Amino acid sequence: MKIVLVLASSFLLQISCSEEFLEPDPLSFYSPEEVYVNKAGFESGMIALRKDLKNEFYGSRNNLQMEYVSSDFGYGLGLTDWSIITPSSGTYFPVLQLFERFYGYIKNTNVIISRIDQGEWESQDDRNAILSEALFYRSWWYFRLIMTYGDVPFVGGELMGPKLDFYTSSRWTILEKIIRDMEFAVQWLPEQTDPGVVNKYGALHLLSKLYLSNLQFDKAIEAATQIINGPYELITERFGVDAENPELNILWDLHRPENRTISANTETILAVIDRYDAPDAAKTQAYTMRGYHCGWWYQYVLDSEGQHGTTDNGPQYIALGRANPDVNQSAWFSYEIWAEHGYNWTNTPDLRRSSENWWETDEILYNKPTSVDYGNPINIDNFANSWDTLKIWPMPYYKTWFPMPDEYEGRPYGGNGDYFVFRLAETYLIRAEAYYWNNNPGLAADDINVIRKRANASLIAAGDIDIDYIFDERLRELHMEEFRHTELVRASNIMAKLNIDGYSLENLSENSFWYHRVQNYNTYIKLGTAGPNTFKVPSIYIYWPIDVTVISSNTLGVINQNKGYEGEELNVPPLTTKIEDTYVK
Amino acid sequence: MKKKWFNNKWHFGHLLKMLRIMKLTVLIVLVSLVSLSASVYSQQTKLDVSLKNASVRDILELIEDRTDFFFLYTNEDIDVNRKVNINVKEKPVEYVLDNVFQGTDVTYRISDRQIVLTNNIQYNKFQSQQQRFVSGKVTNSVGQFLPGVAVVAKGTATGTVTDIDGSFRLAIDPDVQTLVFSFIGMQRQEIEIGNRTTFNVALIESAIDVEEIVVVGYGSVERSDLTGSVSRVKADKIEKMSITQVTEALSGTVAGLFSNQETKAEGGASLELRGPSSLKANTSPLIVIDGAIYPGSMSEINPNDIGTIDVLRDASSAAIFGSRAASGVILITTKKGLSGKPTINFSSKVGVSSTTNDLYPYGMGPGADPMDYFRMHRDTKNSRAQGSLPYYYYFNPDNLPSDISQSEWLNYAENPRDNATEEWFNRISIWPIEKENYLAGRTTNFYDKVIGTGLRQDYNLSVNGGTENINYYWSIGYLDNEGIIKGDEFSAIRSRLNLDIKVTEWIKVGMNTQFTSRDEGAVEGNLTLLSQSSPYGSMYNEDGTIRIYTNDYVKNPLENYYGQDKMKDINSLFSNLYAELNLGFGITYKISYQPHLAFTKDFNYWSTSTTTGSESYTGGYGYRDHTQTFGWLFDNLIKWNKKFGEHVFDATFLVSAEKEQSWYSRQYNSNFSPNENLGYNALQFGVNPGLSDNDTKTTGDALMGRLNYTLMGKYLLTASVRRDGYSAFGENKRLSTFPAFAFGWKINEENFYDIPWMNRLKLRLSWGKNGNRSIGGYSALAQLGSVIYYNGSNVQTGVYSTGMANPALAWERTESYNIGLDIGLFNNKVDITLDAYDATTEDLLLDRQLPRVTGFSSIASNLGQLGNRGIEFTVNTVNISHKDFIWKSTLVFSANRNKIKSLWGDMGEYTLLNKKQTGELPDFQNEWFPGYARDVIWNYDRDGIWQVDEAAAAAQYGLEPGDYKAIDVNEDGKYTQFEDKKFIGYTAPRTRWGLRNEFTIYQNLSLSVFIRADLGHMREVPISGDKSTHDRRNDWGFDYWSPENPDSEFPMINYPDNSSFFGGGILPYVSTAFLRVQDLNLSYNIPSNKLQRILPFQSLRVSLTARNLYTITNWPGFDPESGNLPMPKTFTFGVDITL
Repeated sequence: MKIVLVLASSFLLQISCSEEFLEPDPLSFYSPEEVYVNKAGFESGMIALRKDLKNEFYGSRNNLQMEYVSSDFGYGLGLTDWSIITPSSGTYFPVLQLFERFYGYIKNTNVIISRIDQGEWESQDDRNAILSEALFYRSWWYFRLIMTYGDVPFVGGELMGPKLDFYTSSRWTILEKIIRDMEFAVQWLPEQTDPGVVNKYGALHLLSKLYLSNLQFDKAIEAATQIINGPYELITERFGVDAENPELNILWDLHRPENRTISANTETILAVIDRYDAPDAAKTQAYTMRGYHCGWWYQYVLDSEGQHGTTDNGPQYIALGRANPDVNQSAWFSYEIWAEHGYNWTNTPDLRRSSENWWETDEILYNKPTSVDYGNPINIDNFANSWDTLKIWPMPYYKTWFPMPDEYEGRPYGGNGDYFVFRLAETYLIRAEAYYWNNNPGLAADDINVIRKRANASLIAAGDIDIDYIFDERLRELHMEEFRHTELVRASNIMAKLNIDGYSLENLSENSFWYHRVQNYNTYIKLGTAGPNTFKVPSIYIYWPIDVTVISSNTLGVINQNKGYEGEELNVPPLTTKIEDTYVK
Repeated sequence: MKKKWFNNKWHFGHLLKMLRIMKLTVLIVLVSLVSLSASVYSQQTKLDVSLKNASVRDILELIEDRTDFFFLYTNEDIDVNRKVNINVKEKPVEYVLDNVFQGTDVTYRISDRQIVLTNNIQYNKFQSQQQRFVSGKVTNSVGQFLPGVAVVAKGTATGTVTDIDGSFRLAIDPDVQTLVFSFIGMQRQEIEIGNRTTFNVALIESAIDVEEIVVVGYGSVERSDLTGSVSRVKADKIEKMSITQVTEALSGTVAGLFSNQETKAEGGASLELRGPSSLKANTSPLIVIDGAIYPGSMSEINPNDIGTIDVLRDASSAAIFGSRAASGVILITTKKGLSGKPTINFSSKVGVSSTTNDLYPYGMGPGADPMDYFRMHRDTKNSRAQGSLPYYYYFNPDNLPSDISQSEWLNYAENPRDNATEEWFNRISIWPIEKENYLAGRTTNFYDKVIGTGLRQDYNLSVNGGTENINYYWSIGYLDNEGIIKGDEFSAIRSRLNLDIKVTEWIKVGMNTQFTSRDEGAVEGNLTLLSQSSPYGSMYNEDGTIRIYTNDYVKNPLENYYGQDKMKDINSLFSNLYAELNLGFGITYKISYQPHLAFTKDFNYWSTSTTTGSESYTGGYGYRDHTQTFGWLFDNLIKWNKKFGEHVFDATFLVSAEKEQSWYSRQYNSNFSPNENLGYNALQFGVNPGLSDNDTKTTGDALMGRLNYTLMGKYLLTASVRRDGYSAFGENKRLSTFPAFAFGWKINEENFYDIPWMNRLKLRLSWGKNGNRSIGGYSALAQLGSVIYYNGSNVQTGVYSTGMANPALAWERTESYNIGLDIGLFNNKVDITLDAYDATTEDLLLDRQLPRVTGFSSIASNLGQLGNRGIEFTVNTVNISHKDFIWKSTLVFSANRNKIKSLWGDMGEYTLLNKKQTGELPDFQNEWFPGYARDVIWNYDRDGIWQVDEAAAAAQYGLEPGDYKAIDVNEDGKYTQFEDKKFIGYTAPRTRWGLRNEFTIYQNLSLSVFIRADLGHMREVPISGDKSTHDRRNDWGFDYWSPENPDSEFPMINYPDNSSFFGGGILPYVSTAFLRVQDLNLSYNIPSNKLQRILPFQSLRVSLTARNLYTITNWPGFDPESGNLPMPKTFTFGVDITL
């Protein structure tokens, strides 16, 4: 009987301690409540935000490369005809997936912004500086969203549970919101920060671009002027890794990945960092050679005997890399855009198209030892078909050369190195554009001439300027740097809102500045067909389709589809009420 | 009042126990052995018995417990409650019995281990009434005498059992009409007496053992007393199969258990009981081994150790395992030691596996023209040109249409090469190595290098036996199984020790321990890369080293097989340690501790001759993963068994607690110097070290009570309630209660029952609730993951949100009803078990898809209701039972229909099936539709392929000849998903059938054939992948449309893929129904009388086994069961020796 009693009491003992026994015990991960309690905790949150921005610039078919395949610049591999991209089906350029990636980055910023006052702050400045950096990243991602997908839902804080009733906000409403956020941020971000971390001027740079997007031209000028008058200067002297090489020049120095964030580079406002000596999990590769270089090693590169004359081996392979090429560069950019003031691409003094800085087609050699033409420049006359010659173009090598380390045994795709986000040259171009919209072409020409002069290009007069010229100049200066499609959409909206050239906000999906540039400048699109290829970008692709699953999973609300795509008929008018600023204290 | 003879009167105790354990086939052999050695046992066995004031029953039970003797008597004859004192030492049983029955009229008769007690007075009383005697002999169908057969005068309390030579003698009343003969495993026989006085009866085997003991949760019960729905698979079936994991034995063999075989060397099969009870959470049944919930891997269990498998299908049977029983419970009982001298068993199975079916890349099958690879490139190029080039542009210049001359072909190019072949290769983008090999006449059959035959070896040794107080079973098995994909291999050493020790009269202790050491360190060929391999590619460089890229684009399918070094060893231990105390008053207390330990070492090194070691990382890459898991479960079990007249109570109470912990760490590094020879053994020689750790812990507890109540032996009631707690759920949601009831009614025991041909009829009803907790241990909590960032001078660690919190996360609960009938026909020659069920799962645990604007793809949630209903039956028959030919069959059928009853509960308007609908909104992202099955296929109704003469009609849809054509439901000239997609079928089989036929010929030769059919379901043919690279690589050689092949079911090889003009996408679903001869076994027992003259063996069996021998299907891929993975077909030769 005693035993029964002992057992009974052990039964009861077990029952009574159940509550405590079942308490979960997270061992190897943090909860937000444990981390976002002080400055150090928020700083570790910022690390992820900084890393997120790197996704724009690195990896195969990265976000930046996508901007070039959907613009006047060229076309994308497998993307000659954009009409195959529908809300249900993308290609291997992540046209649909980019949308959800952006919101993933926004989610990370929102956790910081929503929890900012959970922290114990030693000073309000600390709080505001952290908050401002998070707002900068969030504004950047919304800027990219509204320029890529138009009207989108605005998620302004951390979500604490499942939410399925999102509604689309007007891109203009979002624009106003992120302008206010950046107006706050420029007050609190420090003047100087470590490389890879945004400072006050980085925020001003974005803000000036946002003002421009919102047709607040005076404010855009004012913000840009603050930067230009600030601690930055255009590079005008040789510096950095190759400074001693007399055959090279300042633009080569400026764009060396090794030089982009050193203090001698006075032009860098914000850059992202990627280094070979980082741990594996902290580095990617630029894929510039993979993405932008021409198909020099492919089998259509024939020698005079009709044999394949190039090979993926040897020094030229290391130098030019294993081009895919994902971004096919048009002849317009290779040649036509450089024809100015009586010069052409062969004799222009413009350093940005100088043969020292470019790898010309006649510098591509037959490098297959078995070829009769071994060591000679490739000759496109040997090619079997004219359309094969479209695959060969000169390469702006001073920007695309991301060397691989010596010990690297894999395939050269374009290695690790820092990448520009904002540099002063663009600030001038933003201000120039703002002057232009303000009907001040003289000042616009002055700003453009500052960078042209530095590039040793011929100078222009006020009368030369129109919006097409500004976008030509942007490409000459900022190719492989600026977000080309985003910028074109930005200008398209300005012109549509101002009803310039018959554009209007209502018919953007039918006609736009972006569409005009694509139709009239992109050599491939102008060509239409070449052999087996058809080049086509319908006008609706100014905004990309929103993945049908994003819309269908939002069962309690309506996320609008862009005009011209399947599902558009379910749209409701986008929200236009002012979005609250919850973080202001 | 008439008493039921079986339940109350005769004491079978030990005999039953013994017979239950033994397989029927063995029994027959054993009986014959017994007769040879009759009465030796009683002379050899000596007893110590010392009891004061003990009842006769106690003494008889004591003798039964300590020896192999068993008593047969009737309570009316023998006064077993009479108290006696006894004190004997080292005396034979006769001496003890003489003592006990001194001064009474009881006499005994000993036949080997059987002792029959009779009362002379009773006997004489019968005699004095001048009742007549009947007598005779009982044999089995093979003519061997059967001892222990119960012989009863029907309608009276009079009966006896047959003695050792199968003979009986019984005095009966004059009015008795019929004699009833019954014996375990045999069909009951009723024989009219008439004027006869001698009866020679041959009993034949019945289709099922009615008195068989079936294991249920925390106990066991006679099959005839079951209230729930339980199926059993026995060792003799499992042993004959050529399997690696026990789950494979269940594929198709148990009604209601849906199982698909895996294809890898590790073996195994998926398990799902009575349909998917969840949308996302694990739907595998709970595995219980010898009463202990089993947390380990099925690959750790040696199938040869298994005695029986009982599958608990209905809620009531499973409910006592509440927490994890929503998907059913599979109870595995391992073999136990039998008392007596050790029995040693050795078995060896050696076999060879090859594919059931082959699917070759283009140009690679037997007799295939390697040029088919070029043809595929040609068609790819041609479809991309979209008519901008003449159709013959990409044709082989040596095989042009008759109206095209080679020069015309050549000169279409602006700058053609002189050599037409060179020109052609250029046009269709042939890689240099391919050109070189083509010109040299070299081809490589990558298929044969990657897929071939595998050798299978399985050796097992076991010893079992027992003494008075200890029974033991020990086994060790070694298995080495090669898969059919090169490099795929699994080997394991599996050992088990089962011990049962009787410490005192009231304490028993024991353990069931299993140790497994398994090697999963196989690096196998890559099937995807195989599919992409060109027949003109090269496996090796000229210097004999492996080529990383076989055709400059496609990586070598054996790249990692050759270049990766992998070790994955898992050592695991699972033990169930118990003590059982008999506390008197019918109460027993059992305490058990069930630890489970596993140590995993997973070390890998990718050398620089792999792309991982050279491209993804530089200078080689390696990691070392260590995972340890340790868990325990602690059960306290109290049972109470009491009989009050017609009322039998059996109560069980449980208090249980458990804890699962795991510790994982990874060390990794890359870029090794001075060289990479040390591989993963010395990661410190790399320059890029890193580490990653993850530890987890979950806890659970349970309280359970169950009462079995039996009234008059024919009304059976089970009621149980279980309360479970689990740490992974949200605060306040961790506890949940699961009740269940079941009722059974043995209708044939009623007086009014009078259907002579249906000798057994039982109705079973049950209701219960069960839970599912199989979500991650921390699903309810918000989580931050880590990122590594380098700012140019420092490495920094950052955090970001990887999961959203859901404090409301709660148990998934399944409520189910079951109605079942157990029917025995024609004296159990036919046995039918019929069940129908209806289950509803609510609070479904799943990762709810979120709109991606949340930044998350999903959150763990409880939502919706899912219903499963179905019917299943098992029919066991003895078709022919003749001395030289026995034919038995088992037919298993199940059909399940599931339905999503509700999802998120969001109401609104939506368009589906071309109709505006109002109601609960479907989840289009997951393609879940309220009111429809979870596995319903919502897609376009394909209507062939657009043909050349339909180009205009196709163009309306943005399509062209060679693209899919589908029914345009609303005929609006567009394919839009909400209007034009239909429900075209299901991915899960609609019905499943299994038929086993077993033949025994001339007693020793047996043939068993198991045929299985899964019918009515569809699967997507995997031809919808990335088509953008078809001009650079090969692909699985599915048939495709081209103008010359207009009848193909599948569209042309094209890129861009025009299926983007089908809103939401179109997928080619094809029937994957199949019928297969899954198991075939032919075995021969060398007759024991002959055998023992030659060899000192008790038995020797040789067998030939085939698995997946033959399959009938229309599925175009590798195998209808696996989809697009090659399925092994295995032939095995086995030898089984018992000493």
